[in-house]
Formats: sequence, C-alpha cells, structure tokens
Amino acid sequence: MNAKLMIWTSVVLSALAQVCLKHGLTQVQKRRNSGSGLSGVVVGVISQSFVWLWGLCFVLATALWLLGLQRLDLSYAYPLVSFGYVLVSILSAVFFHERVDANRWAAIAVLSVGVMLIAGS
Amino acid sequence: MNMATDPQPALPIGMPASSVPAPARWIRQWQIAFAASTIFVVCGHSLIKAGLNAAAAGASGTGLAGRIAHVLFQPLVIEGLLIYFFGTICWMMAVAQKEISFLYPLTSVNYVLVVGTSVVFFHEVISARRALGVVVIVLGMVLMNRKSRIDP
Repeated sequence: MNAKLMIWTSVVLSALAQVCLKHGLTQVQKRRNSGSGLSGVVVGVISQSFVWLWGLCFVLATALWLLGLQRLDLSYAYPLVSFGYVLVSILSAVFFHERVDANRWAAIAVLSVGVMLIAGS
Repeated sequence: MNMATDPQPALPIGMPASSVPAPARWIRQWQIAFAASTIFVVCGHSLIKAGLNAAAAGASGTGLAGRIAHVLFQPLVIEGLLIYFFGTICWMMAVAQKEISFLYPLTSVNYVLVVGTSVVFFHEVISARRALGVVVIVLGMVLMNRKSRIDP
C-alpha cells in the first residue's frame, strides 16, 4: 500500500469511526429505559458492537496515519484531515438524515477544492 | 447551562476575585482550554512526525505488524500521541463551555500552525498550490459552521 493511499484510507476510516460512534451511542440511549444508573450506561456502551467498530476504525486509522506520514510531508498529510468534515457531513445526511443546509453544501465544495489543491501539491 | 454564552458582566474594579460570581471568574476558561488544545494538537502532530523521521532513519521492522510496532515504539511518537491526547481533553473542556459551531472554525488555525511548524522544524517546501490549498481549507472550515440565515 503506498503512503498516499494509507493517508486517504486513514481519513476515510476516521470519518467512519465517527459515524459508528454516533450510531452506537444513539442505540445505547434508545435502549436505556430501565434506568440502571452509571454501571448500566457503561455496560450498555461496551456491549454495543458499533462502539467496538468505532474502536477498530480508530486504531486502524491511527496505524495507517503513522505508516503513511512516515514517508510524506506533514504539510501535505495534515490538511487532508479536513476532508473528514466533508465525509462526516455527507455520511450524517445519508445515515442519520441530518439536514445539510446551503451553507454546509457550499463549505463541502470549498473544503473539497482545498483538499484537491493539497492532494495535487 | 453554557456559562460562556451568557452576557459576560464586567469585573468591578477592586473587587476580590472570590466575591465575583462564578460565571465571571470563568470568563477566560474556554479561551485557555482552546489555546491549550491548539498548542497540544500542533505539538503532538509535530512530535509524531519527528519520531517518524527518526524511525525512518533507523532499521525498519519486517511485515506490516513489524512496521507498525517499529513506529509505535519510537519515544517521540509515544510522546506525540500522549500530547495529542491531552489536546483532545482540552478540546472537550472548551466544547463543554462554548458552542461547537463557534469553536470549529477556530480550529482551522491548527492547519496553518501545523504547516508552519513543518516549514520551521522539518524544512518542508510549501508550494504556492499547497499554501493556497490551506487558505481554501480555512475558508471552508469557517463556512462549514456559519449559521444559516434561513433557519428552518
């Protein structure tokens, strides 16, 4: 796997991690109707497969980031992290039906242009 | 309740700090939390990169797991990850006091600072295209969190 692909995969996995965490925690909240206190919440969180999926994505993203960054400029790799905002916005619209207003679509376009400029630099 | 968004009363002159109501004493707390998070995040990323450069100079591990282990056991990488983690804690403290839509655009400073440290410490060459990319990303971050004028 080449270094640039590692950084891109890391960015995508980080975005997926956020979506998994959000979904997992939402599930925990939905099922928390017995009111079993703090220990109940902790058990609820760690028994959620999406929370574990978040952990897995997070660990993989970090490992790929380190391996990729080893061979790339920091000033090249770091700005690409901002593409995560674009991905999270789109994924939240698709999976959670969150509203994306005109401002946000414009921001998604502007951020994408910035990321493309960096990617080709 | 979000203290930081409440109208902030001016500090009466000569008043002992202990008699000032809590919200007033906490005025600067989110600024400090945010500044600390920025410093830690930028330092963390720079230390990680410094550790990775050191690792690249040494003998590389074999296989994917070996390479990850080789990189993860670099002292600078461990320190960088820890400092980055502290930065995340500070960020959460800032978010607890101030709206995220206000704080997010401010984090675009991180992009400028990380690129700055790349130039100063790692002697990376920033092309005009890369510099323009960073500026456009900062604009995008500001736009991303701007309140829509037409609210639903």
